Amino acid sequence: MTINPRRNLANRCNALKSSGPRSVAGKRASSQNSRKHGLSSAPDFESSIEYQALVDLIAEEGFSVFACADIASSLLNYRRVMDAYHNTYASPEPVDEFLRDANVKASNPIFSELLSPSGSEPADVREMAAFFASMQRQERRKGGPVSRRTTDTHKLIRYQRNGIARLSRAIRQS
Amino acid sequence: MLYNVHFGIYVDVAMPVEDKSKSLLPFLLSPKLLPDESEAEFQSGLQSLLSELDNPSPLAVALVSQLNECLWWIKRHTVDKELLLHEAMARLLSKAGSYGGTYDNRKVSEALERYLDGRADKDEAEWIDEILAESKLTLSDLRIRAFKDAAKHIKMVDDLIHRQHQTIRHLQRSIDSIDYKSRLIKRMDLELAALESKQSLKGALSLDDKSS
Repeated sequence: MTINPRRNLANRCNALKSSGPRSVAGKRASSQNSRKHGLSSAPDFESSIEYQALVDLIAEEGFSVFACADIASSLLNYRRVMDAYHNTYASPEPVDEFLRDANVKASNPIFSELLSPSGSEPADVREMAAFFASMQRQERRKGGPVSRRTTDTHKLIRYQRNGIARLSRAIRQS
Repeated sequence: MLYNVHFGIYVDVAMPVEDKSKSLLPFLLSPKLLPDESEAEFQSGLQSLLSELDNPSPLAVALVSQLNECLWWIKRHTVDKELLLHEAMARLLSKAGSYGGTYDNRKVSEALERYLDGRADKDEAEWIDEILAESKLTLSDLRIRAFKDAAKHIKMVDDLIHRQHQTIRHLQRSIDSIDYKSRLIKRMDLELAALESKQSLKGALSLDDKSS
């Protein structure tokens, strides 16, 4: 496939227009992206107590120094992924039962009372009911606790795949 | 030889398999179980896997413990498939309320669980039958509709189970590789010892010839 310079330039210009969040709130939100499970950050295993102990243990089995270091860090990395997998599975996002089970239609009088105690302003009430209904739809779409934990752990599949492939490669190539 | 592996846990390379696995447990195995799971069952699975290996090395023990954890995850995810179905059934039933209203999802879920297990009392069983009649569904219809509703999540669980199978395959290959390596080293050691003994015999014979 040939590279068209004009197309390439246009792509680069377009990329500049959409390169990440611009607002303060957006930047703050995206800065927390890797904090959910911490698996995207590069770990420092070499300075841990476990790493040195593992290297010594593996060295007893006749592996070279480099192989020992590779296997130890791969094994620790795999454990890190599996621990995050377990934590994600064991503590899914809680279900907001009030929001999920609330009857939006029956709540209209409450909305109108909250918004305009003196007189009715149907547009505002409708807007609030619509907003409440959309939040309820979102909550219901997420499902119960089992659906939530399934969705969350499913996101970690690629980390597990990479972790075990790295460990297996380190052992078999040594 | 003793190694301080984790927070004062020592591993002796020459110790028997069971002891080795026990010493490694806090570090690499650290069975993170859910509140309703049995640790004894988990450990017995690990011991049965270890017993299939002939004098495994500490690294092999560590890999086998990871393999046991994968099998445990497969069990968990298989139960989850049934739970997802139950969740969807309860959701469908709770939506069956008349005049656009809904039943309490939690109440329906608990009652349905007892109803399906055959533990529901007369009132609960009647209530579930009533809701089923209201929604014009039989129990098998409900199950089919629930399966349709939960299909996306059930597919996800299947992916998770498949991933565990792939991980097990990787671990098995790694264990085989370690086993082969240790056998190879033993064989080479034996051959070297045989060569050395031959060499020393030859040396002794040539010394004898010279002296005679």
